[in-house]
Amino acid sequence: MRDYFLPKNAFRTIFFIGKGGVGKTTTSAAVATYLSTKGYKTLIVSLDPAHNLGDVFMVELGDKPKKIVENLYGMELDMEKVIRSYLKHLENSMKYMYRYLTVINLEKYFEVLSYSPGIEEYATLEAIRDILKEGDKWDIIIFDTPPTGLTLRVLALPKIAKIWSEKLIEIRRKILDKRLTVEKIQGERKFVIEGKEYKLPSREEEDEVLKELLNYKDEVEEVLTIITDRDRTSVAAVITPEMLALYETERAKDSLFKLNIPLNLLVVNKVINLNVEPPQLKVRMETQKEVLRKISEKFKGMDIIYLRTYEKEPRGLDMLNTIGELIVIQRR
Amino acid sequence: MFKKIKYFFKGFFGSFKLRSTEFIEFEERELENIFALLLMGSFIGIPSPPTTLVMRIMPHMVREIYVMQRRAVDLDDMIGEMAGLMDIE
Repeated sequence: MRDYFLPKNAFRTIFFIGKGGVGKTTTSAAVATYLSTKGYKTLIVSLDPAHNLGDVFMVELGDKPKKIVENLYGMELDMEKVIRSYLKHLENSMKYMYRYLTVINLEKYFEVLSYSPGIEEYATLEAIRDILKEGDKWDIIIFDTPPTGLTLRVLALPKIAKIWSEKLIEIRRKILDKRLTVEKIQGERKFVIEGKEYKLPSREEEDEVLKELLNYKDEVEEVLTIITDRDRTSVAAVITPEMLALYETERAKDSLFKLNIPLNLLVVNKVINLNVEPPQLKVRMETQKEVLRKISEKFKGMDIIYLRTYEKEPRGLDMLNTIGELIVIQRR
Repeated sequence: MFKKIKYFFKGFFGSFKLRSTEFIEFEERELENIFALLLMGSFIGIPSPPTTLVMRIMPHMVREIYVMQRRAVDLDDMIGEMAGLMDIE
């Protein structure tokens, strides 16, 4: 078996990335099915807003892990729900604190927030983090991701978020430092708003903002260590023998390399094998040959698996298991 | 008699105390303003920190948002504020 699919010291996380429509969902479902039959407790999570993981397994999945067969659990994340519950939570705590704010219309502010750039990526990251936090429940966690662009941005986020939180912590510490200096001379300071009095926090342990910042940084760092650890995370790129898919995968490979995230496997899906070539497909077959040649050249040294096109759409556990075996088992 | 002297000194040093922290407090307000502005960056067109992080900090930002709002209101009298700090009347 390919050992980057198997848990080593802790649970194993596997991301399947690729262009839209290349067969990420089917491939990841196949791997999950096969690994579960081998006794690994496997969770497969669909992060794609356009869910079809449930369709592949032919069961209905929700946003909580659901048992499909023994050792195999599946879930589909509802991004919109995640975002909405976030905003709801925030709205409640803010309404209380910001009664005095008349300039900013709060309701409008939340409306804007839910469309604010990047919120989907951040919500996705947060969801991944929540799953990884309870990762010890599983042996293997497989993520079926949205098309490459979004996934790469999500995977890049922990690094960016870390930089942000570090910068904000720096400024926050400066503010607290100034406050403490003033406090030492003037005595404890109060901040009065709408008749309510608050003590102005001046020490690190009493400042909620700094606490949140430090917590956030810790959480982000945790995700970052997991996804950059070769013993815990693997990425498999799925590709079809088409030029566009090849270009995109090449770029994804470079981005992942920059992010220090290991790319382990290339699955070339939907390879057409014909004994008799109909003339209508002649050009297509030539392109395929050309792309396949390029793939072996550009991804030299990487693990590559070729899967043929199936006459029937691969659905249901038996068929998934067969395909999964082709991917997981290493042939020499 | 002693009491009077005591009060005199208290008031005397008190005013020194207030003057002494004026600049630090000004700096503090500036930093608080910047901090709040950074978090609300998307409103003024600068890149903003992770939205989820902003959402988590916002409930504790009453003072900073207040300062930011005051800053925005007083923005047309920046020279006045500087003059006040420098003791120019």
